[in-house]
Amino acid sequence: MIKWLIILGIIYLIVLFAMALISRRNNKSSKDFIFAGSNIGLLLGFLSFAATLFSTFTLMGMPDFFRVHGIGAWMFLAFSDGVMVFFILFFGYHLRKKVLEKGFNGISSLLQDCYGNKWAGYVYFIGIFIFLIPYASIQIRGIAIFLSSAFPEFIPIWGWSLAMVTLILIYSETGGLKAIMFADVFQGILLLVIVWIIAVTCINHFGGISNLFAQVEQTNAKLLSVPGPKGLFTFQFLLSSLLVIVLIPVSQPQLSTRLVIMKNLKTTHRLAIAVGCFAIVIILSTVFIGLYGAVLYPDHNTADYLTQVLLFDQNGIVAALAIIGLMAAALSTTDSQLFALGTELRSLIPAKDDSLLKTRLGIIFFAIAALVFANLADDRLVLLARVSFAGTAMSAPLILTGILSKNKPPSAIILITAVAILVFLLSLLGFIPSKIGVLRLDLVLLAFLTLFCVSSILIKNKNIKSQNI
Amino acid sequence: MKQSVKKKLWLMYSILVILITTIGLSPLVIPTFVFNPKLFGVPYTLWMGFILTSLLVILTFLGSKVHPGEDNSKS
Repeated sequence: MIKWLIILGIIYLIVLFAMALISRRNNKSSKDFIFAGSNIGLLLGFLSFAATLFSTFTLMGMPDFFRVHGIGAWMFLAFSDGVMVFFILFFGYHLRKKVLEKGFNGISSLLQDCYGNKWAGYVYFIGIFIFLIPYASIQIRGIAIFLSSAFPEFIPIWGWSLAMVTLILIYSETGGLKAIMFADVFQGILLLVIVWIIAVTCINHFGGISNLFAQVEQTNAKLLSVPGPKGLFTFQFLLSSLLVIVLIPVSQPQLSTRLVIMKNLKTTHRLAIAVGCFAIVIILSTVFIGLYGAVLYPDHNTADYLTQVLLFDQNGIVAALAIIGLMAAALSTTDSQLFALGTELRSLIPAKDDSLLKTRLGIIFFAIAALVFANLADDRLVLLARVSFAGTAMSAPLILTGILSKNKPPSAIILITAVAILVFLLSLLGFIPSKIGVLRLDLVLLAFLTLFCVSSILIKNKNIKSQNI
Repeated sequence: MKQSVKKKLWLMYSILVILITTIGLSPLVIPTFVFNPKLFGVPYTLWMGFILTSLLVILTFLGSKVHPGEDNSKS
């Protein structure tokens, strides 16, 4: 495996840096660096969106989720993604319409324009900073733990984390968003091929899909239904997960930006269809990898199970490809998140010139923050990712109201959003309960924010009408 | 296709998506501790979930054909 890892690793790095250098040569202005020329075609846009969305959390977290919590994980992610792609048709159109009207430097500044209030951008930015940095960190940490477990006496966890962050910084600072998107295409294809090679190996081990499920039934029948052996997949969990996942393209700037920079609306809509197909194909593979682990390694911890299924149970070249694929998955999400944070920071600080210094420094700062947090983070990939989705989703009603309103929405929405983010954060830190009665707090906050935004707009429109009369 | 027809179809697909979402989160698809009837050995919630997810992607395809919004210019 080591021989293959060295060969494939060198090829991977050469391709990555070649793409960064090509992108650097094609970048004629700061807009090209930040928004990749804003004329992205279907293949580049869709694979970049998919690779950014399906991260380590999919490749490592989802098999483990199926192994521990059972088939309800399909409803948690794949079904929610199905609803999300339809929502992209609606949101993509309105976002692009607003951008044509107001221009685009980032979601933060777009919100400032929509609300006519600087704080709209600041609250949004603080929200994504608080919840995206931990998400970026767990990608890095997930892979670092896996690599450290696979090569126990080679490099410690922090060493792997540092190597990955350095790699991200080099190619994203060299080639900008286009380099990241090219890398995403390469990484997305790699990810898809590898997970399916491993999934087929897992199915073949049992002699077919029916036999695999029959074995799971004998091992732990609760894995074949909801709420699963640990009772995780309750109606409330699945509903709140669906809502926060559907809102990911709204609330996470690395994905919203990709909807804006597509060539036209038709291409944006085709992107949604392609991402839906990609979601089904990639998540389906993780069902088999996860349930294989449920039968063979039910009591292993996450890192040991993943090392076993992705490395030791595969032949040398597949295991080497799995390591490269895992790194690719982590890099393709993390680089986009850090770059998006840098872009958002730049959009908040009015630039007097075309300088990229603020963006570059921002990316370095956020990368260091992610690296520090990676050494403190928890190991439960999927649940931490879900917390990140829920945290950023708190800004979604603010964004949707800003984008859908013809008039400037009331500033009270900004204040209420800030309070909701704070309340959610306090519940995560354990200062306040995570449930109100029997209801999950994230669900209650999202429902309250939505009702508040809708009623504020209705009242404001009524007042405008009565003033006109 | 006429814009009014597009609007009607778009509304219809949107309602269908809401309907599928509701069904997907109801005991009809996620009954607790039930894994029968199986389809080719696949437990109930998984194969139903797979069909519903595929339907959502098909509706996304159909929705993209009739979405009433237009913009062919670069952002």
